[in-house]
Amino acid sequence: MKNFRPALGLLCGAALIFLSGCGKKETVETVSNTNTADEAQAFYDAHPEFFHTKTMADIPADLKWDNGNDLPDLGSPDATKGGTVNYWIQDFPRTLRIVGPDSNGSFRPWILDDNVMSYASRHPNVTSLNEDGFHYYPGLATEWALDRANKTVYIRLNPEARWSDGEPITTNDVFFNFFFYRSSYIKAPWYNNFYSTKYAGVTRFDDHTFALHFPELRPDIYSLSLGTVPVPAHFYNEFGDDFPERYQWRFAPTTGPYTVSEKDIDKGRSITLRRNKDWWAKDNKFWRNLYNPDRIRLVVIRDNAKAFEAFRKGDIDFFDMRLAEDWYDKLPDDADEIAKGYIQKIKFYNDIPRPTYGLWMNQSRPLVNNRDIRAGIQYALNWDLVIKKFSRGDWGRMNTSSDGYGDFTHPTLKSRTFSIDKALDRFARAGFTKRGPDSILLNDKGERLSVQLTTGYEHYKDVLTILQEEAIKAGLDIRIEILDRTASWKKVQEKKHDMAFVAFNVGPELFPRYWETNHSANAYDKAFLEDGSVNPERKVKTQTNNIQIFASPEFDKIIDAYDRSDDLEEMKKMAYKMEELAYDDASFAPGFVIPFMRHGAWNWLKIPEDGNVKIATSFEGYRMFWVDQDLKKATKEARKTGESFEPAIRVFDQYKVD
Amino acid sequence: MALNPLTVRKLKRFRSIKRGYYSFALLMLLIVVSLFGEMFVNNRPLMLSYEGKWYFPTYGANLTGETFALDYTYETNYRDLRERFQTEDNGNWMLMPPVPFDPNENNTYEGVFKPAPPSWMGGPSGHWLGTDTTGRDIFARLFYGFRIAIFFSLAFMALTYLIGITVGCLMGYYGGIFDLVVQRLIEVWSNIPFLYIVIILFSVIPSTFSIPARIGMLLVVMVLFSWTSMTYYMRTATYREKARDYTAAAVVLGAGPIRIIFNHILPNTISTVVTFMPFTIVSAITAITALDFLGFGLPPPTPSMGELLKQGTQTLTTAPWIVSSAFAALVFILILVTFIGEAVREAFDPKKFTTYQ
Repeated sequence: MKNFRPALGLLCGAALIFLSGCGKKETVETVSNTNTADEAQAFYDAHPEFFHTKTMADIPADLKWDNGNDLPDLGSPDATKGGTVNYWIQDFPRTLRIVGPDSNGSFRPWILDDNVMSYASRHPNVTSLNEDGFHYYPGLATEWALDRANKTVYIRLNPEARWSDGEPITTNDVFFNFFFYRSSYIKAPWYNNFYSTKYAGVTRFDDHTFALHFPELRPDIYSLSLGTVPVPAHFYNEFGDDFPERYQWRFAPTTGPYTVSEKDIDKGRSITLRRNKDWWAKDNKFWRNLYNPDRIRLVVIRDNAKAFEAFRKGDIDFFDMRLAEDWYDKLPDDADEIAKGYIQKIKFYNDIPRPTYGLWMNQSRPLVNNRDIRAGIQYALNWDLVIKKFSRGDWGRMNTSSDGYGDFTHPTLKSRTFSIDKALDRFARAGFTKRGPDSILLNDKGERLSVQLTTGYEHYKDVLTILQEEAIKAGLDIRIEILDRTASWKKVQEKKHDMAFVAFNVGPELFPRYWETNHSANAYDKAFLEDGSVNPERKVKTQTNNIQIFASPEFDKIIDAYDRSDDLEEMKKMAYKMEELAYDDASFAPGFVIPFMRHGAWNWLKIPEDGNVKIATSFEGYRMFWVDQDLKKATKEARKTGESFEPAIRVFDQYKVD
Repeated sequence: MALNPLTVRKLKRFRSIKRGYYSFALLMLLIVVSLFGEMFVNNRPLMLSYEGKWYFPTYGANLTGETFALDYTYETNYRDLRERFQTEDNGNWMLMPPVPFDPNENNTYEGVFKPAPPSWMGGPSGHWLGTDTTGRDIFARLFYGFRIAIFFSLAFMALTYLIGITVGCLMGYYGGIFDLVVQRLIEVWSNIPFLYIVIILFSVIPSTFSIPARIGMLLVVMVLFSWTSMTYYMRTATYREKARDYTAAAVVLGAGPIRIIFNHILPNTISTVVTFMPFTIVSAITAITALDFLGFGLPPPTPSMGELLKQGTQTLTTAPWIVSSAFAALVFILILVTFIGEAVREAFDPKKFTTYQ
C-alpha cells in the first residue's frame, strides 16, 4: 500500500489542476449496472470451482432424505387472523435494506430475522439432538439430506414457494445469493468474508433442487445450510456500486408473510408491516398458526419511560417489563389495569444461551494483569447483593461464559461468591496489604488498588454503583466510566479498557464459541514464538472480541481441536476443560443471567396456552400472538364503564432451568 | 478599608432592597453551611465516645471496624454501631449529624433497592426527602450537589470574567487593528457549538482522571467557550471611558496602559460587570444541571441535581418525590440568585433619580 501513496497524491494533484483549469462544474453520473443478470452469470462462470450445474441424475441415490414433518406444530390452533398490533421502536429505521450500511439496526428483526422463511428452521421446542444436530422443520424446502462423506447438504425447494411479489423462488435465487453477498457493492465486508469462507460451493440440479458444499463438516452444518434464505435475483436488477443509496428505501421481496409498502412509511414517525393475505405458506403445517395480525404498526417513541406510559394508555399493545421497577412498582399486581383484567402480566422462563453480563478484565493493563488481583476482584464483587436487592431475587448468578447451552454448560463449575476475606487474601498475595485512609488497599510503593470500569450500559448504572460501594469493603476502588454505547464499544474494541461491563449476545446455537473470545490469535499479532514461549515483541490486536487479551498455548490447542471436531461428546469434554482453565485465569468475572422474559400485554392480545417457545428471546419473535378483536372492543368499552374481567397474571415455568 | 463613597451608597441601597438582601444572606448562609457540609450531612458521627476514648471521625482517615471491636477491616458502619451501643448500654455513645446519610451510600427499602418515600409520607425515618432509585438519601445528594454546583459556578464566573474583562478592556483601550482582529477571532470562536464540544470531549476523557480533575476539565471547557460575551460590554465601556479627561490626565502623568486600564478605567466600568454576575451564576448552574441531565456532566456517582432530575422524570408515577425535590431545590436556588441579581442591578443603576418624560 505504501508504495502507492505518492502515485495517488500525484493523481489527486493532477485531477485538482485539471478541474480548476476546467472552470465549469463536472456533473458525475453514478452509472448503475442495469444488466445484473449478465454480471451474475459472468461471476458464476469466473468461479467454476464454486458454482456447479449438474443434472438430477447426479444426485446420489442412497441419500437419507428428511422432511421434519413429524415434529409438533407451532402456535395455537385457536389463533384467528386479522386486526392490528401496535408496538414501538426507539429509532426510525435508517434504511429498508437488509444488508449494507445502517442495516444492522433494531428494525432489522421486523423485516428480516423474525419475518423471513428459510429453507428449514430449527424447531424451537424440540431442542434435543439427533445424529445431525438440531431438529428442523420445513420452510421453503420440502426435504433435505446430509451427505457426510462429501460435506454436502442437498435441499429440495417447494415448487409452490413464491416471493412476496408473486415470483417463484428457484435455484437461480440460490446462486444469486452468493453473488450478492460476495459482491463489494453491498459494502458489507463481514458478509463478503462469511460467504467466501464458510461455503465451499453450490450445485444446481434443476429449478428446485440444489446442494451446498462446505469446507468442513461441523455439527451445526444445518444452520449454515437450512437456516439461510435466498436472495431475489429479479429484484436486484439495478445492482451496482450505488447499491446502498439506490436500494435505501426499497423493500425487497421477502419469503416471509409481512411486507412494507410505500404508503405504510411515515418517515420519522411510524412504519407499518402488512400481512400478505395470499402468502403461499399460510396453510402449511408449522406456519398456519403464526403471523396472525393483518397489520403490525411500529410507532417511534424515543424514551423507554414514555413508551411505558403509551402502553398503559393502550396506544401500544405490549411492553417489555424486564426492569424490576416496571414489573413491581409501576404496574404492580394490584394496579387498576391488572386487577380489572385489562392488562395481563406474562412471565416466561426461556431456555437459551445467556448473554454474558459480567466484567471482562484486560490482561494487558496494569493491576488486572496480575491473576491474584483478578481473582481478588471477583471475590470483591457482590453480585448476590445486586441479584437479591436490585433485581429483587429475579435474576440468577452466571457461572461461566457459556451458561444456557444445555449439556455444553459445565455441570459443576460455580463462579466465585463475594467474600471480603478471600478478596483481601488474594490482594495481599499481589502485594496490597494495608489500607489507606479511605479504606482502599495500598502496596509497598504506595499505589492504590484502583481499577477503571468502562461500560456503555447506562441502564445498568445502578448495578455498577452497588458493586462499587461493596468493593470498597474489600479495599478495591472501582472507577466507573459510563460512555455512550458506541464510544464504549469502540474503547473496548481498541482494548483500552481496564475492565469492561459488556455482554455478548449469543444466538441459540448448538455449542458455545471460544475462538472469538479466547484464542491468542485474537489477543496478539503473534502471541507465541515457535518454541511456545511468549513472544517478547507481541502487540495487542485490536478490533477482535478477545477483550480479555487472553492468550494461552494450551487453550489455543483445545480451541483448534474443538473447532475441527465433529464429535459432540468430545467437544463437550473440551468445552468443560476450557471453562475450567478460564476459571483459573479469572479474567472474566461472570455477573448475572436473566432467566426469563416478562411482558405486560393488553388482554386482547392472545398467546398460545404454553406461552411461547422454549428458545424465545422476545415476545414478538415467533409472531404467535393474535388479536381478539371482539375483546378489544369490549375492553375499550369496559374502561369507560369500569367493568372488569378476570385478572391474568401468568407465569410459564415449564422451561425453567434450576 | 476605605470604600469609595459612591460604592458605599450603592451597598446601602442594596441593603435597603429587602428581597435581594435577604436572598443574599440566605445564599451566603447556605454556602458557608455547605463548606462544613460533612458536619451536617454525613454517615459518620460528629463525636463518639468508646471505652472512655474520644473519636472525631468526620474528617480524616477512615476508622475501621476493628477500632470498635467489630470483625471487619473496612470503614465502620456507625448507624449499626449506634444501635449496638444503645442495646449494650455501657456508657458508649455517639452524636450523629442531623442527616446521618452519605450521598453515595445505597440503602435498602423494604429489603430491596428502590426509592423510599420521604419520612413524613410514611417512608423510613431520617430520609427527609426520601431516597432515589438505589436508595440514596435525596437530601444528602441535593446538599452536596448544591455545594458542587455553586462552587463550580463561582469558579466559572471568576474565570470567565477574568478573561472576558481583560480581553475586552484591552480591545477597547487599544482599539484599531488589534480591536478589529480580536473581534473577528471572537466571532469565529463563539460560533463553535459548545454543547457538542463538551459531549465529544467527555466521551473521550479517560476516567483515570479523578472526579475533581474531571470537574476541573468541565470547568475549563465551559470557561473557554463562555468568556467571549463579556468582552463586548467591556470593550464599549472602555471605549467610552478612554475618551474622558481623567484618562488623558493619567496618560499625561505617565501611567502605563495596564495601570490605566485596571486602576482608572475598570473601577468606573465595574457596575456593568457586577450586574451580570448573578445571572452568570444562574446560567452556570443551569448549564451544569442540563449537562448532568443529558448524561454528559459529572461522572457517577457524583451527587448532582441534574442527575436527580433525570431519575425523577423516569419515575414520575412511582416516585414523584425525586423529581419534585430536585425541581424545588433547583428553582429555589435559581430564584435566590435571581433576586440578588435584580437587587444588585437596581442598586448599581446610575439612573436612580432620572425620570423619563
